[in-house]
Amino acid sequence: MAPARTPDTTVHEEHDLDRPWVTVVWDDPVNLMTYVTFVLQELFGYDEPTATTLMLQVHHEGKAVVSSGPREKMEHDTSRLHAYGLWASYQKDA
Amino acid sequence: MKPFRRKGTELVGRLEAAEVGILGLLVDQLEQLLAGDGPAGDPVVERLLPPGHASDTQIAADYRDLTESALREGKADDIALLRATLPVDGGEVRLDDDQARAWLRTTNDLRLALGTRLGVSADRELPEDPADQQVAVYHWLTAVQGSLVDAIAAAGRRRW
Repeated sequence: MAPARTPDTTVHEEHDLDRPWVTVVWDDPVNLMTYVTFVLQELFGYDEPTATTLMLQVHHEGKAVVSSGPREKMEHDTSRLHAYGLWASYQKDA
Repeated sequence: MKPFRRKGTELVGRLEAAEVGILGLLVDQLEQLLAGDGPAGDPVVERLLPPGHASDTQIAADYRDLTESALREGKADDIALLRATLPVDGGEVRLDDDQARAWLRTTNDLRLALGTRLGVSADRELPEDPADQQVAVYHWLTAVQGSLVDAIAAAGRRRW
């Protein structure tokens, strides 16, 4: 689920500080594909087709961005994914 | 084991007494692992509480300070919830939504722990018909967790 839009998020500047942070889920040989899809729906409110697409991206490409926003929110999202045992981390958007 | 199915507001499955015994032992071990600091660099603890940043050690350390104790507590709470729903002599397991999520997270952690110890990787799948008891337990946990996920996901689809 995308974070709530606030007026200042519509301002685009090519400045390092304005690059958002992202939460990334990495491929893992243990987690079930059905479980990963469920967790993405559960935590981010994605519908099933969207969650399935992201899960398949993780599976085939090794990783997928599942949320973006301020650093604090990405820390929180990462810890929620860790609570469910997904292999996740956050970073500045490339 | 009888796979979990949605029945009304509950998820209902069945475990034999021996299966309850195994699950009880596994969650005891997981609880001890999460309660202690464990040996430094234990790959299982590393997998259950992974770094928050893939390359920046300062960010990863900040993340650990912020989140690790809450993550450990959450996992301990899940273990307690699972244990409270185990039929000691075997039999029906009836779970509400919160209990089912605790089961999902804990059975996943058990699979992560066992999978890490057994060296499961993208290039190394475990044999389907195992003589190794740990491999058999891993496949059994997969069946238990898989049936729970399917039962919860099917219920979610019906809502729409």
